[in-house]
Amino acid sequence: MNPLDERPPFWGSWGRIYAAMVLYLVLLIALFDWFTRSWNR
Amino acid sequence: MRPLDWAVLAASLAGIVLYGVWRSRGSRTTAQYLLAGKTMPWYAMALSIMATQASAITFISTTGQSYVDGMRFVQMYFGLPLAMILISAFAVPRFHGAGVFTAYEYLEKRFDGKTRALASAIFLLSRGLAVGVALSAPAVVLTVMLGWPSHWTTLVMGVLVAAYTVSGGIAAVTWTEFVQMLVMLAGLFAALLAVVFLLPADVRFTDALAVAGAAGKLNAVVWRFNPNDQYNIWSGVIGGMFLALSYFGCDQSQVQRYLTGRSVAQSRLGLLFNGVAKIPMQFFILFTGAMVFVFYVYTQPPLIFQPQAMRALERQPQYGQIRAEYERAFDLRRDAARRLDLDGFRAAQRQLDGVRARALAAAGEATGQGRTNDTNYVFLWFVIHQIPAGLVGLILAAIFAAAMSTISAEINSLATVSMVDIYRRFVRRDAGDRHYLAASRWLTVFWAAYAIVTALYAQNLGSLVEAVNRLGSLFYGTLLGVFVLAFFLPRVHGTAAFRAMVFGEAAVLAAWHFTGVAFLWLNVLGCLCVVLYGWAASLRSGRVETG
Repeated sequence: MNPLDERPPFWGSWGRIYAAMVLYLVLLIALFDWFTRSWNR
Repeated sequence: MRPLDWAVLAASLAGIVLYGVWRSRGSRTTAQYLLAGKTMPWYAMALSIMATQASAITFISTTGQSYVDGMRFVQMYFGLPLAMILISAFAVPRFHGAGVFTAYEYLEKRFDGKTRALASAIFLLSRGLAVGVALSAPAVVLTVMLGWPSHWTTLVMGVLVAAYTVSGGIAAVTWTEFVQMLVMLAGLFAALLAVVFLLPADVRFTDALAVAGAAGKLNAVVWRFNPNDQYNIWSGVIGGMFLALSYFGCDQSQVQRYLTGRSVAQSRLGLLFNGVAKIPMQFFILFTGAMVFVFYVYTQPPLIFQPQAMRALERQPQYGQIRAEYERAFDLRRDAARRLDLDGFRAAQRQLDGVRARALAAAGEATGQGRTNDTNYVFLWFVIHQIPAGLVGLILAAIFAAAMSTISAEINSLATVSMVDIYRRFVRRDAGDRHYLAASRWLTVFWAAYAIVTALYAQNLGSLVEAVNRLGSLFYGTLLGVFVLAFFLPRVHGTAAFRAMVFGEAAVLAAWHFTGVAFLWLNVLGCLCVVLYGWAASLRSGRVETG
C-alpha cells in the first residue's frame, strides 16, 4: 500500500473519522449553546 | 512565593529541560536536528502541537479576558476541527509526499523560487513578531512576582530558552513539549479546582454560575452577527477556520511538528487529536477565568490588577473619590450576589465597571501610557495572593512550561526556515551537512535575539492574546491563499502566484488600516484575494504548469 494512502488504525477509513469530527463539533456547539442559555439570564 | 512553591517550580522546569535534552541525544545531522529523522509517534506530535499553540498567553491573558469579557473567546476555536480535517486530507499527504523540510520548500516545487522566498519572508516577519509577544508574557509573570524590570526579565527568559533550543533541535522541542503539555494540564486542573474550592462556603456552585451568567461571563456562544465584533459564532467557525488553516497548514512552527511524523497516518492522528481536545481545554481555561471573577465578587479585588498602574493611580488627586465609589459599588454588588438579586447585581456591576474604567483612564494619564489594560494581570494576582502553597509553584510551572514550549518551537521553526529556505537556497547551496547543522544553531541564536527585541515592545499592545492573533491575521490569509492555489489550481503558474500574494497582502493591510473589520476576517479576506487573483490570472494566461 502507498504510505500516503495508509488507512487509519480504527474505523476503517479517514472519511468516517472526519465525519465523526464534524458531528463532535456540532454536538459541542449545541452543548455550549445550552450552557450559555442556561446561565445568561 | 513560599519555599515550597519555589521547589515545585524549580523541580518542574529542571525536569522538563533535562528530559528534553536526554530524549534528543544523538541528533547529529540536519535531518535529525530539524525533522527528528521522521520518527515521531502521533501522541508526541499531538501534545507537541497543543503545547506549541498553548503559550503562556493562554494562561495569563485568556483567563483575564474571560474575567473582563466573558467566555465568548472560545468561539474562536470552533473552526479548528474543520481546519484539522482539511489539513489532514489535503496538506499532510502533499507535504509528506514532497519530502520537504518546510512548507515553503513545497511552494518552489509547485511554483518557483520567488514565491517560496516571499512566503518564507512573510513567515519570518509575522512569526518573528509573534515570538516576541510570546516571550513578553512570562516576563509579565516575573515582573509581577519579583518586581524586576520587565526588560531584564525578557532578556533572562530569552537567553534561557535560546540555550535550551539550540542544544536540542526539534526532537528536544517535541519531547519537551510532550511533558510541558502534561504539566500545563495539571496546572490548569489545579487552578480550576482551587478557585472553585476558594469560593465562600455558603455559595453553592450553581449560585456561582448564576452570578457569572448575570455578569455576562458565561457567553460561550453568541449568535448575533457583527463583522466588527471579534468573537461570535460566525467569526469563530468561518474566521477561526481560516485562521487555523493558515496556522496549522502554512505556519512552519506547526507544519514542522507533523513533518516529523513516522507516516501520514501518524501525522493525521496528531492533528485530529488536537482538533478534538483543544476546544474543551480552552473552555475550561476560560471557565477558570469566569470563576476567578465570581471569587472576586465575594472578596474585594484591587481596583487595578497591574501593580505599577495601581501605584500611579494612588498618587492622583482623584484617587480618594474613586476608591470610595469603588468600595460602595463593590459592597452593593456583593450584597446583591448574596441575595441572588440578579437585576441588582447587574446594576452594581455596571456601576463597578464605570468606576474601574475611570480608574484605568486616570492611571493611564498618570503613567503617560494612554489607556491602561490590566487584563494580563488578573489571573496572576489571583494565583499569587489566593492559591495555597505548592499549587502556586505548580501553576507557575504550567505558565512557564507553556511559554517555553511556544518560544522554543517558534525559534526552532524560524531558524529552520532561515536555514532551509533562505540560507541553503539563496546564500550557500553546496555546503556539507555539518555546515548546515552549525548554521541552524547560529540562526537559532539570531532569532532568539530578534524575539527579545520585539518582546520589549509587546506589552503595550493591549491583551496579549489578541495581539498575537492580530499579528498573525495580517499575514496568514495570504499564506493560506497561495497554498490553496498550489493544491487546487494546477493552471496557476509561479509569477501569477507571486503577484497574487503581493495583491492579497496589500488588500489585508489596506483593510486593517482603513476599516474596523474584526481581525479574524482578515484571514478570510487575504485568502480570497490571493485565490481570486491567481484564478483570474490563470484564466488570462491559459498556461498549464504541473506540480
